[in-house]
Amino acid sequence: MDNFSLLMGGFGTALTPLHIALMIGGVLMGLVVGVLPGLGAPNGVSLLIPLTFSLDPTSAIILLSSMYWGALFGGSTTSILFNIPGEPSSVATTFDGYPMARRGQPTRALTLAFMSAGFGALLGVVVITLLAGWAARFALRFGAPEYFAVYFLAFAAFIGMGTGAPLKIVASLSAGLLLSTVGMDSVTGVVRLTYGFTDLLGGISFLVVVIGLFGLGEILATVQEGLRFRGVASRIRLGDVLATMAELPRYWATLLRSGVVGTWMGITPGGPTAASFMSYGVARQASGKSGPAFGTGRPEGIVAPEAADHSAGTCAMLPMLALGVPSSATAAVMMGGLMIWGLTPGPMLFATKPDFVWGLIASMYVSNVVAVILVLATVPLFAALLRIPFAIIGPIIVAICLVGAYTVSSAGFDLWLALVFGLVGYLLTRLDYPLAPLILAMVLGHKAENAFHQSMILSDGSLGIFFSNPLVASIMAIALALLILPRLGGLRRRRNPPEVVE
Amino acid sequence: MSYVTRIAAGSVAAALVAGTALAQTGWAPEKPVEFVVASGAGGGTDNFARTIQSVIATHKLMDQSVVVLNKGAGSGAEAFLYAKQNAGDPHKLIFGTNNAYLLPHVGKMAYSFQDLTPVASLALDEFLVWVKADAPWQTLPEMIEAAKAAPGTIPFGGSQSKDTDETLVALIEDTTGADFKYVPFNGGGEVGVQLAGGHVAGNVNNPNENIGQWQAGAIRPLCVFSPRRMAAGEPVFDGKGWGDIPTCAEQGVAIDSYQMPRTVWLPAGVPPEATAFYADLLKKVSETPEWADYVAKTSQSGVYMAGADLDKFVTESEGKAVAVFKAQGWTAN
Amino acid sequence: MRVGRLPAEMLAAALTGGLGLAGVLGSAELGASWTESGPEPGYFPFYVGLILIAAALGNGVMALRARGAQDEAWLEPEQSRRLLGFLVPLLAYVAGSVWLGLYVASAVYVAFNARFRGGYRGVVAVAIGAAFTVLLYVVFEMAFKVPLLKGPLEPLLGIH
Repeated sequence: MDNFSLLMGGFGTALTPLHIALMIGGVLMGLVVGVLPGLGAPNGVSLLIPLTFSLDPTSAIILLSSMYWGALFGGSTTSILFNIPGEPSSVATTFDGYPMARRGQPTRALTLAFMSAGFGALLGVVVITLLAGWAARFALRFGAPEYFAVYFLAFAAFIGMGTGAPLKIVASLSAGLLLSTVGMDSVTGVVRLTYGFTDLLGGISFLVVVIGLFGLGEILATVQEGLRFRGVASRIRLGDVLATMAELPRYWATLLRSGVVGTWMGITPGGPTAASFMSYGVARQASGKSGPAFGTGRPEGIVAPEAADHSAGTCAMLPMLALGVPSSATAAVMMGGLMIWGLTPGPMLFATKPDFVWGLIASMYVSNVVAVILVLATVPLFAALLRIPFAIIGPIIVAICLVGAYTVSSAGFDLWLALVFGLVGYLLTRLDYPLAPLILAMVLGHKAENAFHQSMILSDGSLGIFFSNPLVASIMAIALALLILPRLGGLRRRRNPPEVVE
Repeated sequence: MSYVTRIAAGSVAAALVAGTALAQTGWAPEKPVEFVVASGAGGGTDNFARTIQSVIATHKLMDQSVVVLNKGAGSGAEAFLYAKQNAGDPHKLIFGTNNAYLLPHVGKMAYSFQDLTPVASLALDEFLVWVKADAPWQTLPEMIEAAKAAPGTIPFGGSQSKDTDETLVALIEDTTGADFKYVPFNGGGEVGVQLAGGHVAGNVNNPNENIGQWQAGAIRPLCVFSPRRMAAGEPVFDGKGWGDIPTCAEQGVAIDSYQMPRTVWLPAGVPPEATAFYADLLKKVSETPEWADYVAKTSQSGVYMAGADLDKFVTESEGKAVAVFKAQGWTAN
Repeated sequence: MRVGRLPAEMLAAALTGGLGLAGVLGSAELGASWTESGPEPGYFPFYVGLILIAAALGNGVMALRARGAQDEAWLEPEQSRRLLGFLVPLLAYVAGSVWLGLYVASAVYVAFNARFRGGYRGVVAVAIGAAFTVLLYVVFEMAFKVPLLKGPLEPLLGIH
């Protein structure tokens, strides 16, 4: 129980008045940047880095990481209330969170999201506490083929269980894959499919697409049905918050499963966004037939992506600290901070700076609890926003969407791009094209392609490399099973068609 | 890629001294200055720019405030394109490496080196050859012999394609006749872990990108591509420190210098007084203790270059790289 | 204007198919074959583009074959009027943002909607628009140091 005593020492470091004040401040600032789609945790954290030069490194990292947790929580709020994901990793939360809010249960949706997020984060910290050394060594075993297998697994888990017209899923998925290849390809150094537009050099930003497809697309749908918010009018009552908390233990299986998925994706590192999609897919698979369908406001559809997102976000700190590989943009900025403070991320950080590492880990327990409390306290505030007349709040949401699209890369071109994707999103949603495969393909497509290409260079073009050791072979086998088995089930059903066909 | 820190030279053409004098009396920024960073947040160039930002703020070296913008798309080309679009605007400083003058040679870029005005270079980042701790090779020539014996089989990791890392590997191949298998990854940190995990046999990371894994004894350096050994400093692992690493030239590989400058640029067409103002500002930055600290922590060499020094460095470094690009058939034009 | 489901389906198929075609043409230039060291840069986009074209054709054919069911209205006249009434200002907003910057355009857009959709008095509407823009400026420019797109008007006010 060596780690345990180190952790206790860490709590001694974390629980000073200064550090608790930093946590509260960090979480609050994180909530602000998380809620606005134009500001993300990376913005907030890079802004704070110069301020941290006067702090000691432990205080500085506590401030930065608290801001990160706050941003992760804040990102879910706008996903649920406005269908606008404040952070990339909260896209999957819109699938069931927004429908539930629209059905008049915004409090329930928000509370479910925050509580399961908190659970996921705590599970992630526990894993870090107990398995730090092992997980860091495990992550070292991941080369290019293993990376590809992990991305492929995330894809398979989500797509394998997809619903909707198969050809429309294919169209959505391949459109996403195609969009993800635009711009400079880092493996070959070739600029692809920009058709001479220098604005496309950096690729089509996933965030701009999400803001267009989900945010603007949803506003258009609202407008089409008359100028008012669809349904989200009920008040937020404290009783609802408590009742929802009491409801949470019912989803223990989903919570645990999603936490495990998130932990896995955080360590390997597939990242929080992929984790939330994968977890959503797995939850849909595991849910069976009873209850309302996924996508219509089913509680598990909120619990699964949130728990996975936060456990992955938490575990993503581990590869950053122990290996120096950031698995998210925010982690990359924090790592820059570490180096400026004179700390070297790497396997020895745990041995040479135990105060720092365990102070951080202990602060993760505390600041996530702080974050859950603070974010629940903001719920009435957001509910009040929903009572503003649409003629005012609608245009403001549009403006915030466009501001968000602009800030991604400070390019006016992205404003047009967001508008186009808004129109396309509206068209495709109303024709029952599923948009989630497109988004997932944009997140993972290029990474998967890179890993595939690197593997091919290593193996001189032989696909055998994906089955060349037990680790990669078993991930590939699980992925293929997830992809194929549900389809086989579908075939069997088709072979014995029900009585009434058309 | 990496941190570079030797200094840089400013580059306003010749009249540096006169320019500096002018700067003190003549030109000063009239509105907030944009620091446009040719890398994503958290990258080596980003830390370079943000360190300068914090030094300027701490010592109040400039009246106007500083806004940092990351434009890292296309290996940094996005930032230099931005300079082209803002020609003549002296309130936009571009932070990069040697990518500023090398990118147009390897890709069809919509900007050319003429779209930039050199200001200064503040540091030089070193390149080393690293192998896994249990690798059979003790020196670079041993590794090269192995590559000659089995051409195209020893995988060398690096960040990006046709960028500094691949150029160096190609340079080693051209110089010695060895044949490695180059595998591009997304960044130096990732390449370091791929080496520690044994997925590639070697890499050419900068000190800062691999120090964590060296401390842990997972990997070790073979030699450094520098004219002389690096500054001694503290021992890192097993009693060895940076100063104990032989140069590659010492080991008999005829590449005496391969270093990456940390550079600062202005758009083309700005008044010479503005260039002189920033060259002078950065000179002051390079003389602060905070800067020395940053350079030491990231194991770069703090060499300030501006004016003619910088021009000379750029011309030489460009010439060497372009020769490699030609030999590899990478040139775009 | 009433829009049927069939034209909408056709438009979606044409858009996705067009995207696929753009991908195929663009990547054919880059080389789309498989070499001894793996795929060429155009390999993935080329084949993904082909699949997308096939799926788009399939979706188009399905829409045609399901003619009967597709005759239903996709947009009622009332709905398309609302959409157009919203889209025209939105388009003007985006164009205005690129031209005058986000601050000015946002203020005008929000004020316009408050006045003509919300029916607020002119003064109130302008106040709402201005308040929103000031809030944007405070949060982005001042608190988080994230510069937004500015046009020719801000320098006149001494804002950079």
